[in-house]
Order: sequence, then structure tokens, then C-alpha cells
Amino acid sequence: MTTRYRLGGLSRLDTTLMAAGAVLLALLLVLPLVASPLVVDKLTLLMIYVLLAVSWNLLAGFAGLVSVGQQTFVGLSGYFVLRLVEAGIAPLPALAAGSAAVLVVAWPLSWIVLRLRAAEFAVAMWVIAETIRSLVMFDPLVQGETGRSLMTLNAMDADLRRTIVLLAAVLAVSVALVTSYRLLRGRLGGESQAIRDDEEAAGSIGIDTLRVKRTIFLVSALGCTVAGSLWLASAITYQPRTAFGINWSVFMLFMVLVGGLGSFTGPVIGALLLFAIQEVFGDYGSWYLAGLGVVAILFALYAPGGVVGLITGRSLREPLSMRKTLVAPRG
Amino acid sequence: MTRNTNITRRRFGALAGAIGAGVLAAGVAPRAFAASHADMIRIGWVGPRSGPLGIFGEADAWLTDTFAARHAEGIEIGGKTYGVEVILVDTQSDPVRASQETRNLINGQSPDIVISSSTPETTNPVADACEAAGVPSITTIAPWESFFFGRGGKPGERSFKWTYHFSFGAGDFAPLYADGWSKIDTNRKVGMLVPNDADGNAIRAGLIPALEAAGFEVFDAGPYENMTADFSNQINYFKQSGVDIINAFPFPPDFPVFWRQAAQLGLAQQVRIMQMAKAGLFAAEMEALGTLGYGLCTGAYWHRDFPTTSPATGLSSAELAQGFEAAIGKQWTQQAGAQAALLDVTLAALVASGNPNDKAAVAAALDTLTTETAVGTVDFARGPMPGIATTPLVNCQWVKSESGPHDFALDITANALAPDVPISADLKPYRIGG
Repeated sequence: MTTRYRLGGLSRLDTTLMAAGAVLLALLLVLPLVASPLVVDKLTLLMIYVLLAVSWNLLAGFAGLVSVGQQTFVGLSGYFVLRLVEAGIAPLPALAAGSAAVLVVAWPLSWIVLRLRAAEFAVAMWVIAETIRSLVMFDPLVQGETGRSLMTLNAMDADLRRTIVLLAAVLAVSVALVTSYRLLRGRLGGESQAIRDDEEAAGSIGIDTLRVKRTIFLVSALGCTVAGSLWLASAITYQPRTAFGINWSVFMLFMVLVGGLGSFTGPVIGALLLFAIQEVFGDYGSWYLAGLGVVAILFALYAPGGVVGLITGRSLREPLSMRKTLVAPRG
Repeated sequence: MTRNTNITRRRFGALAGAIGAGVLAAGVAPRAFAASHADMIRIGWVGPRSGPLGIFGEADAWLTDTFAARHAEGIEIGGKTYGVEVILVDTQSDPVRASQETRNLINGQSPDIVISSSTPETTNPVADACEAAGVPSITTIAPWESFFFGRGGKPGERSFKWTYHFSFGAGDFAPLYADGWSKIDTNRKVGMLVPNDADGNAIRAGLIPALEAAGFEVFDAGPYENMTADFSNQINYFKQSGVDIINAFPFPPDFPVFWRQAAQLGLAQQVRIMQMAKAGLFAAEMEALGTLGYGLCTGAYWHRDFPTTSPATGLSSAELAQGFEAAIGKQWTQQAGAQAALLDVTLAALVASGNPNDKAAVAAALDTLTTETAVGTVDFARGPMPGIATTPLVNCQWVKSESGPHDFALDITANALAPDVPISADLKPYRIGG
């Protein structure tokens, strides 16, 4: 007699979490109506962090591609926005188009870097980030170190601009969460996790590893570019050393490592944590950065599953897990 | 990835609690109250006070206290007496943080005016945040060209509505040097050491032709990358060209590397004037160079011998330097006067506005403001661009201090741009060891 197994569905916890997340995001959409500018500004930053963490986790947690060069896309989107605005396009469309334009760079890039493995990939991404920064700094518009400001955004009423940026950020996070959830729950999720666990084996059972990795790479790059545009829209000042700074990668790494590498909820928790830590300890300057490093090391050593791992313990009942579980029929 | 963790959930909770308690004990941003009145003026002062640029902000807390003490009775403007509150915010030398903290300051503390200083990496993000939020801002100590053009200003147009800047400019170097280098006999051959960065490219395009027009023969060693470890090519080029003068615009940490190699390769022994810009502002940099530092030349935007008084603090330049040394416990720096001047312009703008709580009135007052400050007269009406005022530079030479207690003293050797400032010593040809 054969037993028919089926793939496990969503648990009650999962559906509750999803509903709560949806309600929360919907609340954030109406928040600018009542909240002070300070709150709106801070929430925008939080949304940018969530977006970055989710993008990085997609790459490192699900496809096993550890990159320390995702700032390439953060910096490039800002640069493209500046160029588009200089060409006479209104700032808001330019912000959207600038993000999309980065894919023109990311796509050919993926052909090269995705053939590299592990550490080589990480180093290559960093080198690429630095190279592109140097190139951008040659543009007289950016004026080397000095950078450039997106002054045309100031033509807009400050409150309106803040609200639009927050709404765009909330929207971007919602899209990022839903898209990555659907991607990962589907065939691509299984394939990418197989590649992460053993690329040779995944290839040998017929997975087109390059295609899977490229899809994930591009989606992740898009997340970073949107974060970069949102950042520029809220900060206005563009300085290449900052936009292409390794700090973006450090923050992404911290959020994902502490939140829970390879879990769906981990990066969101990590972003909340980083945001809270920054709010509280940000005034301590270099000590705060050193503290971030220590926390990340402690997590890597003693809690490799991050906060999500600590909560679920060994039960493997991870909320919104992307693991495929088999359920035996009753009886 | 299923290693057992040693931190249980309960212990993690306890840890989190302990961190939370520590947080509550942590202090808030320092601020100085001059007086508590029904009507208050709130000044937000954003600047680098820690990190690599921290030395630029050393005087800030002391100047704020001095300013607050002088106006303890409040400031009378338009028949009303206002209390003053200065909120100090630290950028940690990070442009991202400068932008974020300025927005937090504006949204959280609603200052009437925001002021900021030192390097375009500080002034530009701060001014951008103020422009975006519609809060008047005054900034200083960054070449005005970097501030104006770096933020997308268009010549002749009123590019910014809320942000004002006063500082020296890159265009001042040519007349400053032409005067300063004529003080001793040289072959008028100048070696230029200019990196491939924004300032460097502006200097290459502007200063070199201007020096040639002034009758100097210029030998440009070509653009190089910041943080270079080997300057032997440039040094050999300067030696072969037989230059008597070297003019360097290095990223500050690069200068000691260059000058040590120049001494090893025999260039320092040949040169009569070593003129630095960007580097060499602080005695601390000279002390790091040791005996090689005696005789180096640098431009200065303030000096203790300036015949000026800071109205905001009530201190003369000499008193500012003394006060700085007494309060900080270190040798005075140019920042003591420069930051006092920032407070001077701020106070003058608030008074001239007639209503310091009206942001539009403060900005309107700044449009045509003329005031005396620790660095000299600041005149926005005459500025090279709308919202920009220029202040002069003098040329100085670091020499071995004869009276102590510090190793180095700064002599004023040329004053063509600021004839009111007395020359305190003749320029001496460079000689290793002073």
C-alpha cells in the first residue's frame, strides 16, 4: 500500500502573521495623515532598512550568494536619478526611472559575477562597487568627493514630499515582501535553496542554476536600487562615498544575520532591531558601530539562526517558513 | 545550521532588559540655555564633534557656553526679550548622519535657525536638509564654490531660498600666494601637488592658470589618487624641474607621507617655500611631523592676532585663543575664531530679522546682512553669489615656538587679502629643523 504525502500548507500562525503584517502596512499608509514629520521621516528610514534587509536575505539566505557589494545598486540608482533630473525629467518620475535603469547595469553584471563562487563572488561585488564609484566620481556633475544635491525636489511642499516618500516606501516594502514570498514559495524557492545547500548537486538534478541565481540577483538588486532612490528622496544630498559606502553592506549583513539568515521574517525583525539600536545608541559614534560588530559576532557564534532561530528553538516550527514540509495523511 | 545556542530565551530577555536600563541612563544631546523666557530662540548647531573631523568641533561646546553666559539675561529684539537655547548635534563626521540628524533636529526640536560648519561633507547635507524643510541655515568653513556649485547652484540665480554660507573661496588662493611667495627671493618655479578629487580638479582648472598669469612658472605633477603611499615620481619630477616653491592640496593624511619622502629624497632640502592648503590647519598635524614641520606655510581663515572682536561672545581674537586654551587645555586652533564668527552672523541675523521666530523674516534679513565677526566683515549683500559671503585668508608659517609651552607657533607672513591684519613675522625660507 502506498502512502500519499502532500506538501504542508500554511499553519494558523502563518496566516495570522500575514494578516497582521497586511494590517500593519495598511496602517502605515494612512499614518502620514496623523503622525508628526519626525515620525514619518523615521518610518521612511525603517522601511528603507526593511527593503535592504529583505533584498540581501533573498540573495544570501535563499541563494547562498553572500555579497558585500550591494551598495553598488544603492549608489547607482541615486546617480541615475541625478542624471535624469539633470536631463530635465521631473524628480518623482526620475526617482522611479532611476531605480529601473539600474537593472540595465545589473543584468550584464550578473552574467559575469554569478559564475564566481562564494568568497570570490563577495570580493568581486565589493570591487565592482568601488570601481563603479570611481567611475561615477569622474562625472563632472558629481564633482568627485563633493557630490550633488537633488535641489529640484525642494520645489515640492515639504509635508507633501515626506508623505509621498513614506507612501512609496511602504508600497515598496509591501511589494518586496509579497513578491519574495511568492517567488520563494514557488518553484524558484525550492530551486534556489537547493543551490544554496549544494550547487553541484542542484545542477546535476536538472536545475538551471545560472537562471535561478540571476533571477534572485536581479530581484535583490532592484530592492537595493529602490531603497537607494528612496534614500536620496529623503536625504536630497548625494555624495558618492556615502552612496557607495560599505556601510550599506554592513547594515544589511547585520540585519539579516541578527534577524535570522534564510528565514522570511528574520530580515524584518533585524531591520527593526537595527533601527531601534540606532535610535538609542547612535549618539555614541564609533562605539555604537563597534557594538553592532560585537552583537553580530555574538549572534554568528552563539545564535546562527538569529532572533528567529532563538524564538523557534529546535522545534523547526519557523513562522512563514520557506522550507517544504511533507505531511503524512492521517491514519 | 542547528548548533545549540548557549543563550536561552529567558537569559536573552534578561540581557535585553539590562540593555534597556542602560539606555534610560544614557544622556540626551547637550544644550545650553541662556535664559528661560516666554519667548525663546532655538538655535540648532550641527557639526562634527567626534570622528576624523572632530578637531573642527573642539571649540563648539565652550563657545556655546560662553555665548549662553553672555546672553543670560536674554536677547532684546524688536522690543521683546527672548531666551536663547543652543542645541548641539554631533554628525560624527558622517554626511549621512549629518543629514539624518538635521532632519531629526528640525522635526523634533523645531529650531528657528540651524547653523553648521567645517567641510562640504558637513555643510552641504545640513543645508540640503534645511532647504528641504524650509528652515533658515547659516554655514561656514567650506570653500563657497563647493557649497554653491556642489548643491546645484546656478550663477546669478537665486538658487537657494533658506540656506546661506560665508567662507573663503578657491579663487582667493592665487592672490594670496602671489603675495605670500613674493616675500622672499625664489626662482618663481612652482611645483603643484594636486590630487584627483573635486577640490583638486577645481584648483587645477582655476589656480594654475591664475598663478601663471601672476608670473610663476608652474610644474604640475599631474593628478594622483588620495591615500597614495609612494610620491617618488612627483618628488623626482619636482627635483628635476628645480622648483623653489611647492604648493600641495593633499587629502590631509597624505601630506606627512609626501613630506617625509621629500626629505628622504632630498627635495625638502632644495625647496624654499612649502605651501600647504587643506592640510596643515592644526598644530596637532605639525606635531605629528616633528622637526620637518618647522617652516611649512599654510593659509589661515582666522588667527589670534586678527584685530577683530566677536560680538556674540564679547571676546577679542586674543581672548578667544586664550579662552580656548584655558577651556580645552590644548593649543588654540583657527576653529576658535571661525566658530565664534558663525555665532556672530547668527546673532546678527536674528537681531536684524525683527522677529527671530519668523523663519521668512530671518532669511530676508540674511539676504542683505552686513556684520562684524571674529573673522572680519561678513557682507551677504556684496557676495559673489546670492546667499554667499566671502571672508579673507592670510598666509601663515608654522615655526618653532620660542616662548612655549607648545612646540609650534603660527606666524602671519602675508596679508594682501586682509590688510587690517598685522604681519607678525617675515617669511623664512624652509630649512629642515627650523
